[in-house]
Amino acid sequence: MPGDLDRALIAAHEAGDSERLTVLYAEAADEAETAGNVDAACFYLTHAYVFALESGAPQAADLHRRLKAYGREE
Amino acid sequence: MTLHHTDLSAVTRPVAEARGLPNAYYTSEEMFEAEKSRVFFRNWAALGFAKDCPEPGDARPISFLGQPLVMVRGKDGVLRVFQNICRHRGMILVQEACKIQRAIRCPYHSWCYELSGELRTTPHVGGPGTNRHDDIKREELGLIEVRSHEWLGVVFVNIDGEAAPFEEVHAEALSRWAEFDHPLHHGGPDSSFKLDVATNWKLAVENYCESYHLPWIHPGLNSYSRLEDHYHIEAPGKFSGQGTTVYRPMLSEDGRRFPEFPDLGDKWDEGAEYIALYPNVLLGVHKDHTFAQILEPVALDRTVEHVEIYFTAPQVTGDDWAEMRQKNAAMWKEVFLEDIFVVEGMQRGRHASGFDGGKFSPVMDSPTHCFHHWVATQMGA
Repeated sequence: MPGDLDRALIAAHEAGDSERLTVLYAEAADEAETAGNVDAACFYLTHAYVFALESGAPQAADLHRRLKAYGREE
Repeated sequence: MTLHHTDLSAVTRPVAEARGLPNAYYTSEEMFEAEKSRVFFRNWAALGFAKDCPEPGDARPISFLGQPLVMVRGKDGVLRVFQNICRHRGMILVQEACKIQRAIRCPYHSWCYELSGELRTTPHVGGPGTNRHDDIKREELGLIEVRSHEWLGVVFVNIDGEAAPFEEVHAEALSRWAEFDHPLHHGGPDSSFKLDVATNWKLAVENYCESYHLPWIHPGLNSYSRLEDHYHIEAPGKFSGQGTTVYRPMLSEDGRRFPEFPDLGDKWDEGAEYIALYPNVLLGVHKDHTFAQILEPVALDRTVEHVEIYFTAPQVTGDDWAEMRQKNAAMWKEVFLEDIFVVEGMQRGRHASGFDGGKFSPVMDSPTHCFHHWVATQMGA
């Protein structure tokens, strides 16, 4: 994960900003997926999904779909 | 004195022969602990007020006799009560009153629950990035719901889940006050107060039940509502209290009165009633407002009284009626404050070794004895 993204994630965690965490973890997941690292992608997708559920973000449905497609979610 | 060695036969005799509950019921930690399961958890106890979770997503944690609970209003508008714990490691889920957007996320390992209690996701439960496992059956791991029921703005819970339905247990009260089955409108912050009282919760019930003390403790009230204008209300095993036949609504400086509930019978023209619905809520109904006082037993000898006042129409909650609402709340607060020295005094009095539970007036104390009889029955007499 690039340093900028890592720092942004830590700041969003400190702020308890679930919507921002959804966006940032989804970004991390996209990068891992592009690099062909499915395990890492699913780890980040999981976090994006959790914070989307918490914040009521509309991305939750798509994040769930992606996890399910990898067999990682019900 | 222990629970098993307490003779309650004197309590359950007819009022003319009875004695009150023994001192230990007010001074023994063992009794207080026993009451939790026998009196509170197996009946319909008052937990909180529905107005504290008015909108979908509103969540309010409440600790009740050591039980961590949370009231949540779902997206479907239904108010539910859950044990406030994650099914994973028992972590407290909701730390303070808040608005839940979509899911309740456990702050420990982020298991997420829908507002209806369903377990939505279990992150990394099957290893990093794998949120499922054959042995994690989400349909069996939802939040533990506590049976609840709302009446007169009060949320009641049956914690052990074994009581008959609220409508069945309290059919008599529901029927008695059926005419007040209309939407209630809470008066807002100026119609809300709480009192922290150094007494056992039962003494607050006992004092509320009877009108005998009114001329001595509430002389202001007695100036227009005399002792002889009151009658007893007794539903053995359910509730007891008193009624008045001379209720006089409050007037504003410019002669306005709070609007009244629609279609009330003649009884309520000048009538008002006050019942203690066992175990722990004191209710009052009048043609122009109602109130509920939940007794929160925070310790053997400490009770927090939560008082909320409701009106008949939404316009009464506006600024136009603020002065009247404040005057009304001040009137009730004065009444309840006047009661504090007697309930605290009786609590101190329960340490007198020679006290035998007390001798009731066969005429004036029967609603209080009705409550004692119920407690004795619940505790195993």
